[in-house]
Amino acid sequence: MLGSFGLIVIDKAARSRIDNINFIGKVPSFSLTNFDGSVVTEKQLNNKISIVSFMFTQCEGACPIMSNNIATLQERFSSSKDIQFLSITTDPDFDTLDILNQYSSNYSKNDNWFFLRGDILDIIDLSEKGFFLDAKLLPAGHSLRFVLVDKELNIRKYYKGDEISNIVELQSDIVTLLNQG
Amino acid sequence: MSNKFFFRSALTSTILSYLLIFVGGLVRVSGSGLGCPDWPKCFGRWVPPTSIEQIPAHIDSTAFNIVLAWIEYGNRTLGVIVGISILLMSVIALIYFRKNNKILFSSLLSLFLVISNGGLGAIVVSSILNPFIVSLHMILALFLVSVLSYTTIESYKIIDTNKFTNMYLSKKISTSLILLWIFIVIEILLGTGIRTNIELIAIDNPLFTKGELLSSLNSYKYLHSILGFSLLFLSIYLCYLFRDDFLGLSKQLVLFIFGMIMFQIFLGELMIFFELPQLTRLFHTWGSSWLVGIIIILYNTLQYE
Repeated sequence: MLGSFGLIVIDKAARSRIDNINFIGKVPSFSLTNFDGSVVTEKQLNNKISIVSFMFTQCEGACPIMSNNIATLQERFSSSKDIQFLSITTDPDFDTLDILNQYSSNYSKNDNWFFLRGDILDIIDLSEKGFFLDAKLLPAGHSLRFVLVDKELNIRKYYKGDEISNIVELQSDIVTLLNQG
Repeated sequence: MSNKFFFRSALTSTILSYLLIFVGGLVRVSGSGLGCPDWPKCFGRWVPPTSIEQIPAHIDSTAFNIVLAWIEYGNRTLGVIVGISILLMSVIALIYFRKNNKILFSSLLSLFLVISNGGLGAIVVSSILNPFIVSLHMILALFLVSVLSYTTIESYKIIDTNKFTNMYLSKKISTSLILLWIFIVIEILLGTGIRTNIELIAIDNPLFTKGELLSSLNSYKYLHSILGFSLLFLSIYLCYLFRDDFLGLSKQLVLFIFGMIMFQIFLGELMIFFELPQLTRLFHTWGSSWLVGIIIILYNTLQYE
């Protein structure tokens, strides 16, 4: 009796994990420039699980923690070709491609992490209307959330980018999405 | 009258505590430990929210998962019920058993242990499920059921004065039982060590298959198996020592210990070959916790020379 109770609870918990990765919205079309000069559009998100976030290189508060967390995720998922990271600067005036390039070499150990810049108005639009994240008083007012986007460009879930418990949860959600194919 | 009443309350506390260990194990294997990210409340509420709208605005709702929240809350609620049950038992002990040191002190010790372990539960949550603290939480629960089992059998001996066995607590039997208990506690520590390591490796390597996780474990996973088989031999020896005893409570417990160790070895092998199904893990942990209390009960059923 306890056995079947246990089985039901374990099964419910496993299902709830999958159900909890909701469909929140669709990533809109965008066009930004990567630190290496190449143009990155929403098409880059096709067939990849993407972790999108906003940052700027001069930020001294949460951004270094967030970038370290992405670096950790990049390392831990290095054996998978299906995962990529997009960090969009909210300070394109200061964050030239050169500076983003330098910042990238400090954190990224692989070519699946894009550091993107574009027109500030486009970025505000993308943050607020595209990913439903606050973008007031930029650059410092950018959101600290990581956005999980699936292979079909669906926004699935948000995580606090500077909190370890959220990162662990993000990890297990990535594995869940990977297992779904 | 008060004797019977106390025995019933001790037995209830013991059974509830074992159920609590089961539910706690369920929290661990289903990964619900952070179902409520705060403590003692759950998302700022005494009763967990049933929908995301019920979460107060100042509390972050990103991590909300109703199933995980209620599993974790179930563990906390049962913990409170166990606490109340042990509190009642201690009150009865204070009123009627002030002259019985065994019962009085074991009751008060179990009250202290249950409160401490509740507090440790808060640290489990705030540590974001640090595997060491999670294991400590379980080990403290094992000490709790040990003390409660002792209280239960001591109070049972007052109301049932029939002989449980013909055996005397000889040096041989006493030593093998004490060794068995110590080895089982060590075996459980090794088991939680294996579990802790698997979890730590899994955090660093989220893409590892369960087979890869097992093969990257330290060599002390073999120690766990070797000690497991040693326990089996020790329990066979115990059966041998009790071969001429009548089938009273003591002999039944001896046979139970033997059967349970066999069952645990079977479950352990099952987990290696079938890649750690969660339900097997749950019963592997829970069954071993039974042994800890049963040995203490057996020890105290034997007659003193």
